[in-house]
Amino acid sequence: MDLIIGGAYQGKRELAKRKYGFSDADIYTCGEESGIVFGARCIDKMEEFTLKCVREGQDAVEIFKEHRSEWQDSVLICQDIFCGVVPMGADMRAWRESTGRLCAFLSGEAANVFRVFCGLEQRLK
Amino acid sequence: MNVLISGGCKNGKTAFAQEIALKLSGSGRRYYVATMLAFDDEDRARVERHIKERAGLGFETIEQPRNISACLDRAGPDGTFLIDSVTALLLNEMFQDIDATEADPGAVPRCREGLLKITANAGNAVFVSDYIYSDAARYDAFTENYRASLAALDRTLAEACDTVIELCAGNVIFHKGGLAL
Repeated sequence: MDLIIGGAYQGKRELAKRKYGFSDADIYTCGEESGIVFGARCIDKMEEFTLKCVREGQDAVEIFKEHRSEWQDSVLICQDIFCGVVPMGADMRAWRESTGRLCAFLSGEAANVFRVFCGLEQRLK
Repeated sequence: MNVLISGGCKNGKTAFAQEIALKLSGSGRRYYVATMLAFDDEDRARVERHIKERAGLGFETIEQPRNISACLDRAGPDGTFLIDSVTALLLNEMFQDIDATEADPGAVPRCREGLLKITANAGNAVFVSDYIYSDAARYDAFTENYRASLAALDRTLAEACDTVIELCAGNVIFHKGGLAL
């Protein structure tokens, strides 16, 4: 598994397409309603999945652990929403923390970790 | 040489940009291209502080809140231009006056064209932008539009510049190129 993180609009999905040759059809995009589907070659907007988890009282890291065998060969993309100030709202606070914890867990599991800054990739691992 | 500097707020981006511009310019002319429009006392205090901080560094100040490449016509393209900041330039181009409620959709292409004119024609240019993309918040469409637009300009500049630097708590991270100063 490879992990791509970075801020909003920085070109994370474009990097995945360029680096791994993915088309849009290869990429599953998480939604506030739809959650996540494991098994896709690439999973984008994981921060939408963590937000859904927070709202439904679920632990994103535990869900990933349960499905461990299903994402071993995937490229996972997540926005690093955990860098800014602590938000006032409780659900935004929980969202920020759970996304940070999930990315830390996945960084440990990943073969490669990339961060995208202004469209430029930086190898973190 | 063209350099893009971004990073979080109050990281020393302007001071670092001045240092780079000073070195790049050598004995040539150097221009501080100020893009911020001061609307209140807080803004004016910020402008005053920046003016004090660059006193004695030999910058000629050009106020260019919109139509950014006009600074080349006003100064002549030779010399080193410090554009501070892309963030304020975009804001001024998107909202032509303080009461505007709709963002001008022509702002991004206009800024892009002007900025690329500078990277192509200026002796040297140093651009300062702001990294506003990594926080846990759901913004309104107005703010999201601004963030997406600034990111588009940042990425255009990152591609066009020789060197791209992120300042993190005053520390320098090179994302592209280097500084042979």
